[in-house]
Amino acid sequence: MNSPLAGERELMLTGIGGQGVQLAAQVIAQGAIADGKEVLVFGSYGGMMRGGNTDSTVVISDQPIEAPPVLSATWSAILMHHQYWAPLRVLISDGGLVLVNTSVFEDQLDRDRYRVVEVPATDVATDLGNPLLAAMVMAGVYGRTSGLVSLDGLVEGMRRSVPPYRSQLIEANEAALAKGWEMAA
Amino acid sequence: MSERVLIEGSEAMARAAVAAGCRFFAGYPMTPFTELLEHMAGLLPEVDGVCMNAESELEAVGMAWGAATTGHLAATGSTGQGLSLMQESLSEITNARLPLVVFNMARGQGDYFQATRGGGHGDYRHIVLAPMDVPEAVELTQLAFDMAGQWRTPVMVLGDYYLAHTYQAVSVPSFDTAAPEVPNWALDGSTGGSGAAKIVSPLGGGVEGEEGFDLGAHYAACAAHIQAMATGVEPLIDAGFCEDAELVVAAYGSVGKFVRYACLRLRDAGHRVGYIRPITLWPFPSEAVHKAASGSAKAAVYEQNMGQMVDDVRLATMGTVPVEFIGGPSWDHSGFGIGPDINVPDISERILETMP
Repeated sequence: MNSPLAGERELMLTGIGGQGVQLAAQVIAQGAIADGKEVLVFGSYGGMMRGGNTDSTVVISDQPIEAPPVLSATWSAILMHHQYWAPLRVLISDGGLVLVNTSVFEDQLDRDRYRVVEVPATDVATDLGNPLLAAMVMAGVYGRTSGLVSLDGLVEGMRRSVPPYRSQLIEANEAALAKGWEMAA
Repeated sequence: MSERVLIEGSEAMARAAVAAGCRFFAGYPMTPFTELLEHMAGLLPEVDGVCMNAESELEAVGMAWGAATTGHLAATGSTGQGLSLMQESLSEITNARLPLVVFNMARGQGDYFQATRGGGHGDYRHIVLAPMDVPEAVELTQLAFDMAGQWRTPVMVLGDYYLAHTYQAVSVPSFDTAAPEVPNWALDGSTGGSGAAKIVSPLGGGVEGEEGFDLGAHYAACAAHIQAMATGVEPLIDAGFCEDAELVVAAYGSVGKFVRYACLRLRDAGHRVGYIRPITLWPFPSEAVHKAASGSAKAAVYEQNMGQMVDDVRLATMGTVPVEFIGGPSWDHSGFGIGPDINVPDISERILETMP
């Protein structure tokens, strides 16, 4: 019998407030739903203000989610910034997938223990015209490298996640997602 | 059913409540109940319902009580502290035989006794349902309103911080905007001649010489009704891997989901452990718990408190299997019941230490 846990994939994201960590989590989660998957999201409580710590947990599966909202291990991680990543560091599973924003991340990674994908997300986003698109670049890379969310799903997920007062950014977000997807080829 | 959406537990429960026919809600903000109140305030006007931000939990339960007497599906809620204030009313509403749904978004699991025994006066009980996650909370919210109407009783949905704030993909039923059918016992505001009741009281009621006037007879009828619910409400339980388990672990609510996950992982690692998760906390699924634990050498109960449901598990198993308490309170600075011990490795370790 296959374990009911076999198909579950965890993602934990960390960064500093303002980098779009919560939006990236929402886009990936909404994208997975658009692709017909089961999803769970739990954000950290407290100061998700600009400059403060911000992190989020996403679980994706083809089956109903068995994982509780607080994880003690994660299959994958998105590191937007190093400042608050210490608690996450020990939770990354052996053989896991780690996407790191090399534009700003300054710390050692256990490269023997898990697969590291380097993404100069903030630089790429700046080239696209807005450094705040870094999280969308990262989401695009994540969708393709993880194999968990399609590009169509991510774009749909982004459309569902962006609030109406930010609708002017939808086009730029879509370009950033596509750029990330292309980089992961 | 509508399409699947990613929403937090508070919103999912609010949408499920309105879809189930809830048309009146009153509450006073308090974490982790606040978002449920906010979502009800946003949703109820869409169906010509009413949501009141009361001045206190006492006032909120009073408003909901009043709304319930009109035969419309009403609900209130709070967290443990607010529920303390509501206890007198919950006792009286039970004896008044009124349908009401109470969302208890508790801070941790210290309020199991408060929820299942009730802190009010008298010999009352009401139904208590404890969902483990957002999809189950949607189902049980619908069930809560169905049961409240069917049994004319308060039904408590017992959640917590995790349930309130976790986002999951769920299908929430669409709203039925048809005017609800008003039951014949409801008050209609008229003072005579309509044929409708003029009083719905925890003290019975009616006219001297008619059935219902005698207080002793009323309490006897209430007692009979409690007994009818105790035996007539279908006890719900989720259990797994109990058949060949050396140890079965009981837990409820969100914490039950952590325990269930720990057991799934331990099973994957070859440990013969099973889990039982009572969903109806009153009536407690005693027979099912007894049966699930009967083949194992030992049972354990994990709760985030000093040991409350463990009493019900011991009563259910009646000494046929040793029952060990392996939980304990765990708090962080917030006091919201999201302590550091509530994690799968810690729970798994306690389970392994308890294995026979």
